[in-house]
Amino acid sequence: MPYKILEKKEIAMRNIWYRIHAPHVAKKVQPGQFVIVRAFKNGERIPLTPVMWDRDEGWIVLITFIRGRTTMRMANELKPGDEILNIAGPLGNPAEMEKFGKILAIGAYTGIVEVYPIAKAWQELGNDVTTLHVTFEPMVVLKDELEEAVGRHILETVPIDPNLDFPTNMKNVTKRLTEKVRELLEKEEYDMVFMVGPAGDQRAVFNVVKEFGIPMKSDLHPIMVDGTGMCGACRVTVGGEVKFACIDGPEFDAYQVNWDELIARSGYYTDMEQRAMQEYMKALQGGEQ
Amino acid sequence: MAKPKLIKERVPTPERPVEERVKSFVEVNLGYDFASAVKEAERCIQCPPEYAPCIKGCPVHINIPGFLKALRENADKPDEAVKNALRVIWNDNTLPAVTGRVCPQEEQCEAPCVMGKVGDPINIGKLERFVADYAREKGIDRELLTEFMAETDGKGRVAVVGAGPAGLTCALELAKMGYKVTIFEALHEAGGVLMYGIPEFRLPKDILKTELDKLEKLGVEVKTNYIVGKTVTIEELLGEYDAVFIGTGAGTPKLLNIPGILLDRIYSANEFLTRVNLMKAYKFPEYDTPIAVGKKVIVIGAGNTAMDAARSALRLGAEVTIAYRRGREDMTARVEEIGHAEEEGVKFEFFLTPVEFIGDENGKVKAVKFEKIRPLEERDKRGKRKIVGTGEYVTLEADTVIIAIGLEPNRILLEESGFKANPDGTLIVDENLMTSIPGVFAGGDAIRGEATVILAMGDGKKAAKAIDEYIKGKKANA
Repeated sequence: MPYKILEKKEIAMRNIWYRIHAPHVAKKVQPGQFVIVRAFKNGERIPLTPVMWDRDEGWIVLITFIRGRTTMRMANELKPGDEILNIAGPLGNPAEMEKFGKILAIGAYTGIVEVYPIAKAWQELGNDVTTLHVTFEPMVVLKDELEEAVGRHILETVPIDPNLDFPTNMKNVTKRLTEKVRELLEKEEYDMVFMVGPAGDQRAVFNVVKEFGIPMKSDLHPIMVDGTGMCGACRVTVGGEVKFACIDGPEFDAYQVNWDELIARSGYYTDMEQRAMQEYMKALQGGEQ
Repeated sequence: MAKPKLIKERVPTPERPVEERVKSFVEVNLGYDFASAVKEAERCIQCPPEYAPCIKGCPVHINIPGFLKALRENADKPDEAVKNALRVIWNDNTLPAVTGRVCPQEEQCEAPCVMGKVGDPINIGKLERFVADYAREKGIDRELLTEFMAETDGKGRVAVVGAGPAGLTCALELAKMGYKVTIFEALHEAGGVLMYGIPEFRLPKDILKTELDKLEKLGVEVKTNYIVGKTVTIEELLGEYDAVFIGTGAGTPKLLNIPGILLDRIYSANEFLTRVNLMKAYKFPEYDTPIAVGKKVIVIGAGNTAMDAARSALRLGAEVTIAYRRGREDMTARVEEIGHAEEEGVKFEFFLTPVEFIGDENGKVKAVKFEKIRPLEERDKRGKRKIVGTGEYVTLEADTVIIAIGLEPNRILLEESGFKANPDGTLIVDENLMTSIPGVFAGGDAIRGEATVILAMGDGKKAAKAIDEYIKGKKANA
């Protein structure tokens, strides 16, 4: 059964918002869970997170960051009224819903869209939630929504320096992230830190949090194929044991994660990902001629 | 009837030449044409159905002499012959194009075949496949389907969880009885292991898809992208349906608990085969899903999954070695497939068990360290020789490793629903295949652990009968 796109808009640079009819997911999804999307006939399966949903009206909102061929194709080729071929879910375990106290919930780049439903639910449960979004200046999303949903929303933007390459620009985000987290933890007392973002940034932030001895949870993003526990592509070492992020996670105790392994594993297909992107760009240019 | 004249040798089926087939994923065996199929069918000595050992050897008890008789009775009218033969097969098995290809016939119907005592057993699998293929090509199967359509009014509604061989068979059998059936499938395509596990060169996906078209024709609804336990619970299904069948298989890979398991380019066979078969990663970048295969691949294990993974890796251009901890005679893969793998150039290393994966500076696997194994005379419960480590080690180079040491049931359902299960995660069922939850039945790998397609289909069929009885009983008492 295909899933109709009710709304699609570019909400920031390379950030696309899709509101999609998917009643089977909308009815059941809990903060922390994800879906697997396959948008095209020859397409791949990618994990994405429902950011908002309406159980009665049967829709979910997905926000993608254009990162490679699939997210780029979705942005280019899908229009409101079109149908997405497959949305499987909800998948993974819901985030723990408890009164932790004062929480710092961090989102790097588009990771903030995954922080949103969890932070909102924690706040509603009586936690005192501060959200921190660190990203490039033109990539700010969900600012108003977060300001309304949680106790305090801190936005830290980093300019994109056109004279620097992308990896160097990204290092500036990592730097700002760690500086800001350190500043917050020095000034205020938090009971828990939660983070969503690239594995490298998560490790950098974790190294700061660790110095303060505060509990930290991380949403991990290893490569996934089926998302139902049948292949082990998403395996991570947690507390010395091999776990599958899709069924045992995606949320884990940051103190137990083997970060080096996770970072290495997320780069396994970089070459092929670039090739897929280049072929797509070439096809696009060919089409325009 | 005249005294049967015995023809000892089976009529061969042509195969694509090795040098051609290793370059693509096209089907290796080309199957019979009508004339050679009739010739092979004529070798059958027509044991009476109540006695025929081949029927007993088939887990779904197809009337084998019956369909062979139908073929040769109308040797001058091929369409008629095939239609009659297919009707006989469909009475017991609705997926003959699949089973004719993937069943281990040498252990099932062909093993007890009387002709096997004096020569080659009848080539039952290939004949079953011929009937299905010919019927599909000529559209005969579509004509015949109308005969099997049943009135669905008021009989009852059944939910089937999992669209693999067990679930498909259960659904098709129930639909033929007149039940309204809905299948819930987690992936985006039906078929289970037939779709994601078995490669195109053994079971072409176009053929599988036409077999699956029957579901729709017989009124079975398939809901893909539904993960029962997450999208909908068993409890909710029981509220809506008269009975539930669980055919969720054994899809969770066992991984080796040894150093280096998280290195780059170490795949579970399930991930590797899912990328290749379901996602068509062998057509990257035409298809979006990537697969990274180097020049030297080691496959660990020696079952059918290992053969499928090895032969797929070979077709992606690698040099492939299968490493197995036991000996040649202990391999569990089908004889035909081991033969194909050898012909295609897969190398075998026996009595080696991996102890460590060794990586390079970039976190990519570069070698596997094995301990040499010695077999003992003593046998284990399954009749296999016991093995013991020798303390001697050998290291083999590899830039890709595929682990095919077995599968166990997925625990998503177990955790959500409170079934009684064995420690290995298989569901506990009674003699009618009913689980600890009344009205919920189960079969296939979900109750057996990793077994075969045809045993799963046998369970699906048995469960369909039990579900029919259960629902009739429930309605009578209502």
